[in-house]
Amino acid sequence: MSEKKLHEDQKYIDGLLENNSFIIQAIYDKFVPKVIHYIKQNSGDSDKAQDVIQETLITIYNQAKHKKLRLTCPFDAYFFLLCKRRWLNELKKSSNKEVTINEVVLSKGDEAQELAFETSVFGEKQALFLEMFQKLGAACRDLLTTTFKIKSMEDVAKSLGVSYAYARKKKSLCIGKLTELVRESPKFNQLNR
Amino acid sequence: MKDQNYILFESYLSEELSQEEVAAFELRLENELELKEAFNQYKDVSSFLEHTFGDEDNTLAFETNLKNISKDYFEKQEGFNSKKVTRFKPWKYAIAASVLLLIGIFTFNNFSGPSFNDYNNYETISLTVRGTQKDLLKVAETAFNNKDFISADRAFKQLLDKDNSNKELQLYRGIVLLELDSFEEADGLFNGLSKENSVYKNKALWYLALSKLKQKDHAACLDLLKTLPEDAEDYKQAQRLMSKLD
Repeated sequence: MSEKKLHEDQKYIDGLLENNSFIIQAIYDKFVPKVIHYIKQNSGDSDKAQDVIQETLITIYNQAKHKKLRLTCPFDAYFFLLCKRRWLNELKKSSNKEVTINEVVLSKGDEAQELAFETSVFGEKQALFLEMFQKLGAACRDLLTTTFKIKSMEDVAKSLGVSYAYARKKKSLCIGKLTELVRESPKFNQLNR
Repeated sequence: MKDQNYILFESYLSEELSQEEVAAFELRLENELELKEAFNQYKDVSSFLEHTFGDEDNTLAFETNLKNISKDYFEKQEGFNSKKVTRFKPWKYAIAASVLLLIGIFTFNNFSGPSFNDYNNYETISLTVRGTQKDLLKVAETAFNNKDFISADRAFKQLLDKDNSNKELQLYRGIVLLELDSFEEADGLFNGLSKENSVYKNKALWYLALSKLKQKDHAACLDLLKTLPEDAEDYKQAQRLMSKLD
């Protein structure tokens, strides 16, 4: 992956990471109209488009932050594919409604497909982790939130009023519990197929 | 998976094991497939937690900013669409067509070289968003659209006094000043905007060039036009103007 040439559109990814309003505005001005058009053509409306676009940009931001996303294709194709995929998933979820899908044929390399696929799997995995995190007991949730916010385990122990050794042990067991919840969920197996 | 293993994972990741213990653990990872898988998942979940809670403030700031930009964008979009639907009546096509014809005749008959007035046909601007019709913005918008540049200048000046970092307002004030022949001030605004990275960068560059054109400094105008990048909205117009000036 790393030897592939970075696309100049990486500036949009970097801009999102830096929370640069002008870049975000530019993304809306340049790339969003196409997505709105697509969603409106396929059983959606402007409100739905707004949500899909917003969630997609948040996923890109998260992936860029956690996994150092390197864009090796035009942002346009990558972004459009991601939004499209998210929208089609939404439609599937509410598939009791009648769905009309006009497939748009676009010329884009496998590169964009691959990257968009990676990002959407990342996004789904994150959503799953969050969902499972909510299923942990309150004690575990508190301990993990504090641990990762404060970072120093000594301070965590102090703030929770427990010994350092106990806090450490609890942390590993809580993370262990979370991995088990994730592994046992049916969605996890779908993602790892 | 045994609790013991999770404790071991944590100690390994936080580098609290002795050299021998590390070696022993890594050897187990190589030989025990199930342990390796569990360890990788543990690492994955850890890193997810780290990023989710470790940097929550930045993420929240990003999400809030994104939501605001998105809301503005879609509100303007809706405003624009509803205006288009309700206001554009068929007979207006006829007027638009005759105006185009007139412009056509005018430009074909214009052999005296390019001038600023060939380029100052601004699109209607829309500064107010649905629901928040702020008075002063409305005044500025209406004055600008009616080409009442003196009133527009007053309104934009007041707006900028309140919020002098607003680049959209800076750009429009620049245009207004240019119309009023306050070249020095206008150029100052355009210059500033064209050097910063924003969506108004290229627009500012284009108007800076037009300002030079109006000041009859054709050489400076040409130099500026040459720096306009290919993806700029006014690139084609700029190319045509360059060929006329050359």
